[in-house]
Amino acid sequence: MNLSTINLQTLKTPLSRYMANTLALTFIFLACVGLFSKGLNLGIDFRGGYITEFTSSQSISKTKMESLVIPLIDSEFYLTSDSNYQYWTIRQPPNIAETDPLVWLEKLNQQLITDGRNLHLELMDADFIDSQIGSELLEQGGLALLSALIAILVYLTARFEWRFALGSIVALMHDVLVVLGILAWTQIEVDLTTLASLLAILGYSLNDSIVICDRIRELMKINFHQSLENIINLSIKSTLARTFITSGTTLFTITSIWIFAGQSLQGFAITLFCGIALGTFSSICITAIIPELTRLQPDYFYKQEQIEKETI
Amino acid sequence: MKKKPTIFSRISKWDLAIILTTLIILSASTAANFYQKQPAIEISSSLISESSKVDYSKAGYSKADSSTAKLPINSQQLLELLQQNNIQALQAATEVGKVVFTLSSEEQQNQAVQLLQKNSGKQFSIKKSAIDTRPTWLQKLSLEPIKLGLDLNGGILLIYQVDSGYALKQKLITIQQLMKKHLRENRIHGIKSEVVQQGLLQLKTNSHSKLKETASWLLNNFNDLRIVEEKPRQMLLAFADDYQSHFHRQIMAQSSTLLRERIEKLGITESVVQRQGANKIRIELPGLKDKTEAERMIGTTATLDFYQLAEHGEKLNLPDGQNLYIDPIPIFTGKNISDAQSGRDELGIPSVNLLLDEIGGDKMLSFSSQNIGVPMVTVFSEYYKNANGETKKESRVINVATIQQALSSRFSITNLDSPTAAQALAESIRAGSLSAPITQVKHQTISATLGQSNITNGFKALALGFAVTLIFMGFWYKRLGLIANLSLFVNLVCLIGLLSILPGTVLTLPGIAGLVLTVGMAVDTNVLIFERIKLESQKARNSFHAIEAGYNNAFKTIFDANITTLITAIILYSIGFGPIKGFATTLCLGILTSMFSGIFVSRVLTRAFYRHIKITRTN
Repeated sequence: MNLSTINLQTLKTPLSRYMANTLALTFIFLACVGLFSKGLNLGIDFRGGYITEFTSSQSISKTKMESLVIPLIDSEFYLTSDSNYQYWTIRQPPNIAETDPLVWLEKLNQQLITDGRNLHLELMDADFIDSQIGSELLEQGGLALLSALIAILVYLTARFEWRFALGSIVALMHDVLVVLGILAWTQIEVDLTTLASLLAILGYSLNDSIVICDRIRELMKINFHQSLENIINLSIKSTLARTFITSGTTLFTITSIWIFAGQSLQGFAITLFCGIALGTFSSICITAIIPELTRLQPDYFYKQEQIEKETI
Repeated sequence: MKKKPTIFSRISKWDLAIILTTLIILSASTAANFYQKQPAIEISSSLISESSKVDYSKAGYSKADSSTAKLPINSQQLLELLQQNNIQALQAATEVGKVVFTLSSEEQQNQAVQLLQKNSGKQFSIKKSAIDTRPTWLQKLSLEPIKLGLDLNGGILLIYQVDSGYALKQKLITIQQLMKKHLRENRIHGIKSEVVQQGLLQLKTNSHSKLKETASWLLNNFNDLRIVEEKPRQMLLAFADDYQSHFHRQIMAQSSTLLRERIEKLGITESVVQRQGANKIRIELPGLKDKTEAERMIGTTATLDFYQLAEHGEKLNLPDGQNLYIDPIPIFTGKNISDAQSGRDELGIPSVNLLLDEIGGDKMLSFSSQNIGVPMVTVFSEYYKNANGETKKESRVINVATIQQALSSRFSITNLDSPTAAQALAESIRAGSLSAPITQVKHQTISATLGQSNITNGFKALALGFAVTLIFMGFWYKRLGLIANLSLFVNLVCLIGLLSILPGTVLTLPGIAGLVLTVGMAVDTNVLIFERIKLESQKARNSFHAIEAGYNNAFKTIFDANITTLITAIILYSIGFGPIKGFATTLCLGILTSMFSGIFVSRVLTRAFYRHIKITRTN
């Protein structure tokens, strides 16, 4: 089975390219809708508040757990559990009178013993963050994303011709935007690790774009007499195997993080997964298209090489 | 047998030397991770006569001698006691009067300590410790296992925000008081002054000349002040910008040092005190379970200052409703107190005995010898945040005593409410006083159980990712795939070795995720090269040249692709703290080791074994 021959013929006809572009635009549109209507579900890292995580020795229903917990907590709270009903999370807003989870969990445990119930609760993680520092972190995070984008833009412009840099950046922004849209639609909690994965996506999504751009540039030096569309098709074809294998292995390792690494890295794994999958898609469909759209001449690099040779 | 000379003749000895040296160092470093410290408890029996009380009120120290008699310990009995409570312990070492038991986990260690303290209490002193299980050669090389972050160890995280602006404002207020004193003494009236919110001194007057005079007096006597705004009848002064940043840096440094000292007094080894951002201090206390004790010790913002009375000055309320006026400049402050112990005076009334340092002693001496018969006020202050989030200082007068004689560095504060009050006061003083108020902005308690399950889960993910990648590469690229797998293995060993050997690197749960990601991405380097080789072999060169051309041509692309990820990883490293920093570290190091193993190592391997590699030509 030869990957390159099978898929590409169909993939790169004008119709399929048209479809890919529309798909990308639809993604962006949906993402924007999601972000404006639902907004991101910012976790306590950015909003401030209390999170208490504890396990129960047996699974009990959510309503039962709520009834156990209500008498001991006198602020508003939000109780969630995992699918086994044994790992519980309680979220409370920041400006309440602080009660030590160790204390009320102990009380609850004592009560359960005296009630003769065969249930024991164990505290896993108790986290508090002040709302002011939360908004500081959000600002910092946004700045970091921005500066990463700028640094990358600078580096790309230096290494490649501006049209390639533009293509890569547009693909990158598409990725980030759509991932944020996915986070908005699914209301997955956005915390510091999610931010870290967004930054990681920036780096990885670029990998694919760079590999394709390098190939296009190389082929342009040789096949400068062909149309740009053909050259791009050829480049994509020749790098397709590599793209799929790398994305495949990376996506698989992320899946294994998703499966094993527990509650705290769920958002992280999902964000990375979507980001890298999208990155591959956008590298093929967006990065490779922009040079053509901006009228890059197929013999650009050949001419440049000639000029360089003459000046030597 | 004939093949050996040809393999080695094709690779440069230099390349081989580099790889072997790196591998040896880093795999030794990785090996250190297999020798984790084992939790242990030390039980020693000793008879110490009643806790040494330092008697400060009399000249010279008197300290009770500690007895040197040590009783032998019945370790068998203790082992049985532990056994009965399901604690598996092994005897590791015995000396006269000291026994060391090793335990299987930290939880058992805690249980054992609690149990033995309950049962034997005064007879022994029980201490937690850890046994180094590393073989001698590792110890000699000082290679240690990876440091684990809080989310893998369990423990407590506290983040404090330091309000240096408040301290700066206090300084300005002091200057304002001194200015008022000067104006009074020189009978200059009509100048209204106020320290406004942002740390500015506002002067209002009806006479422009008086304003000028006051301003120049201020500027002459306080070099760091500057005029910010000047109007005919109003002036705003503030500290110069570079003084402000210098002051802020100083406050941050002092606060960090003080907090570090307080933590050391808690006896916590392996704690981390770091500056985070512009004005925050991050404290990580691994292994601790209950944060109330730590918070109390670390977060006290109490200060003790000694003032003289003055007719006009800062007003303080006495508990019985009267008012006092004190001279705003203290005679000496809590910073000059070296030690404070609670005790009783001659009449048995609870008191606190103070020992001042040289500066404090001098100040006290000069003040008291000139002011016999004059009262001295002891003021206890604490910072807190009110409902609006503003920092406020609450001051309480502890004592107003008349100076009977010249006092120097040792004297007592007497007339305290109770022995407990005396102890609490002594403790607050010993904790040292902070130069600026701190407030807690974040705390987190992570249980050791969660930490342990994070470690197990993290490494499960790593194992799965690694295994599947190996299988896939072996299957898809066959012999070249084996080389890729070997270089992946080298990659992982180098990465873990680097994490263990570099100081300051910490492994966190996102860090393990970063390891897993690196495994996934590391193959990229190899795949790029191999696909390139396939491509080059189309040009009808022999396989050796195809390989060489493959490596050469792929290098630029690999470099570009990795640099961009490196850029984002570095940015993440600079803004991140704690778990995120761990992730950024693994990412950065992972990129470097991937490049090393993917390009360098696999090239050497490919060159050595190229005869065995068949390259399928693609059309």
